[in-house]
Amino acid sequence: MIDLRDAFELRSVVHLVRPTGARASDLEQLRAGIVAAPDESLFTHGLQVQLRAPAVDELPPDDFSGWVNGVVQDRETAERLSFAVQNRNGSPQELRTALIEILDSVGTSARAARGCPPGGEFVFLAAESVPLSTGIRVQDAGELIDALVSADASVCFFHLTEEPWGSEGGRFPLAEWIAARGEARLADWLGEARVMGLPIESMRRKIMQRWRRSHLGRRVSDAASAPDVARREAGRVAVARLVRRIARVEERS
Amino acid sequence: MTLVAVRTEGDSLVDGYRAVVGDGPIRILESLARQLRGHRIAMVNSTATGGGVAEILHRLVRLLNELGVPTTWEVMTGDTRFYGITKTIHNTLHGWPGALSEEDHAYYLAMNRRAAESLALDADLVLIHDPQPAGLAELRRQAAQRWVWRCHIDLSSANSAVWDFLAPRIAHYDAAVFSHVTFVPPMPVPAYLAPPSIDPLSDKNRELDESEVEELLAPFGLPTRRPLVTQVSRFDRIKDPIGVIDAFRLARRREEAHLVLAGGSADDDPEGAEVLAEVRAKVGKASDVTVLLLPPDAHLVINALQRRSTVVLQKSLREGFALTVSEALWKRRAVVASAVGGIPLQVIHERTGLLARSIEGCASQIIRLLRSPELRRRLGGEGREHVRDNFLHPREARDYLALFARLIDIAHGS
Repeated sequence: MIDLRDAFELRSVVHLVRPTGARASDLEQLRAGIVAAPDESLFTHGLQVQLRAPAVDELPPDDFSGWVNGVVQDRETAERLSFAVQNRNGSPQELRTALIEILDSVGTSARAARGCPPGGEFVFLAAESVPLSTGIRVQDAGELIDALVSADASVCFFHLTEEPWGSEGGRFPLAEWIAARGEARLADWLGEARVMGLPIESMRRKIMQRWRRSHLGRRVSDAASAPDVARREAGRVAVARLVRRIARVEERS
Repeated sequence: MTLVAVRTEGDSLVDGYRAVVGDGPIRILESLARQLRGHRIAMVNSTATGGGVAEILHRLVRLLNELGVPTTWEVMTGDTRFYGITKTIHNTLHGWPGALSEEDHAYYLAMNRRAAESLALDADLVLIHDPQPAGLAELRRQAAQRWVWRCHIDLSSANSAVWDFLAPRIAHYDAAVFSHVTFVPPMPVPAYLAPPSIDPLSDKNRELDESEVEELLAPFGLPTRRPLVTQVSRFDRIKDPIGVIDAFRLARRREEAHLVLAGGSADDDPEGAEVLAEVRAKVGKASDVTVLLLPPDAHLVINALQRRSTVVLQKSLREGFALTVSEALWKRRAVVASAVGGIPLQVIHERTGLLARSIEGCASQIIRLLRSPELRRRLGGEGREHVRDNFLHPREARDYLALFARLIDIAHGS
């Protein structure tokens, strides 16, 4: 439980992945596996995909729809599962219900008939989280944004995706804390960003853009009254940031 | 019994890896190291040189010490009879024919007892690699210690009698770690997954400039105007070199290219020599195929060859993890591979490479890639990032540290 009056400590996370022992070789067994799967397993196959590829332009498919599409080759069910993972993922129970509804709509005999080739079974995994202290404590929205800019992808993933998903009653500790700091709009943006189904870096960019735009007026008026030295320094920092961004894009291409 | 002195001179590994993977993953390693402050790790295996496990331990032990987690590496030595028995264990766990006698069991346990008396094993976190020293936990484990068994072998088709002998030894560990989910048999302790990894700073994977590549490949007289399609693998039937030639010939009817089949020396492997002879017979006098027999230390040549290739193949019929795929992806190569073993974790179809299930499928994908520089650039770029995020040494180090942190938490009841 966080104390809303305290500084907020950013944490990162490492996931230890283990097989649960359950496997599925057709949609009927997939349904049974989802019914029985621990929450950590739904998390691994549905949400953790975001952390496996943090910097891509488009999220890779979640494991459920990826298997149904690529191995079982039931494109329609795969599309529907994929949509559910991206849009009905507020809590483990919400996601489980959504996935089961879609598989129920396929019909029992069709589910049993839609199987995989030998060796193509879906293996249920579960992730055990090892949260880590980053040593970064932020006092207000400005510090939070600065910290999120440079934080590892797993920090964003932990606070924006994993923590709210696994918390009781769908609580969102980071958004609650920032709202208690009088930044209700930023809290809303955090909440919106987390359910957009974006890769982590895109999610982070979206939040930064909104925050910077909302502070544009204040930054312009501050800059206008700043001494030349400070303006030159701000310009130098902005150019350096741009160069780093271009270098990163070139490195990735 | 040997305590391995790991090379520590030269540039900092932490800095070297930071330059490759960025600040984030290194900060996570540093956080884990802080969490493990006051703890010590001992790594144990059965050889200080040769083989992938020794290769990674040289790097890992140094890296962990640089991070501030005191780590030692002890080697359990044996005699010819012991190594004969452990070779049988290794092969039969891989599903090959063979059996252990009662005498073999007794000798294996006696050698583990001898090792248990002579090895220090005084760290509170102990990571035992592979079956040879697996018996140490039942002989030396103290209540306050956490022991993990790291299995680098695929146990999915393990000989049940041999596994029945080994499993009671494994039951004395806190956890086991496997490279891939399909390698895990029913286990007496919690099993975790940690894929193996490549070293971006090693000769096999470090950056080479154009002139180095040309110089390294000059002795082989490879064509410079035609695109190279390459498979780097030992000459073994499960790597399907004959299927590679068939797929290449189908592709070659449509596109100009040159095939390179590069593999290690097969002098000490009768079947390898046989397969190499079959490959050479199949190639015949064809001028568009080169078969390269490379010495075991030809890391730079392999690096240059992969970098010079337009398409890299891994058309195996069966695989362990197949880190050659990650090596090629790390060099931004376009890869066509079979969906076997650990390959689908590395090659995400149409995103980081292309998967094929037949000779015709492999040929079609080769043609697609030869015709489309844009597709090669896109797959190669995403492939490199996928390897950066998932298959480099810092990630493997992270997984071991996180597992120990987790086991300590569990022991403390949280």
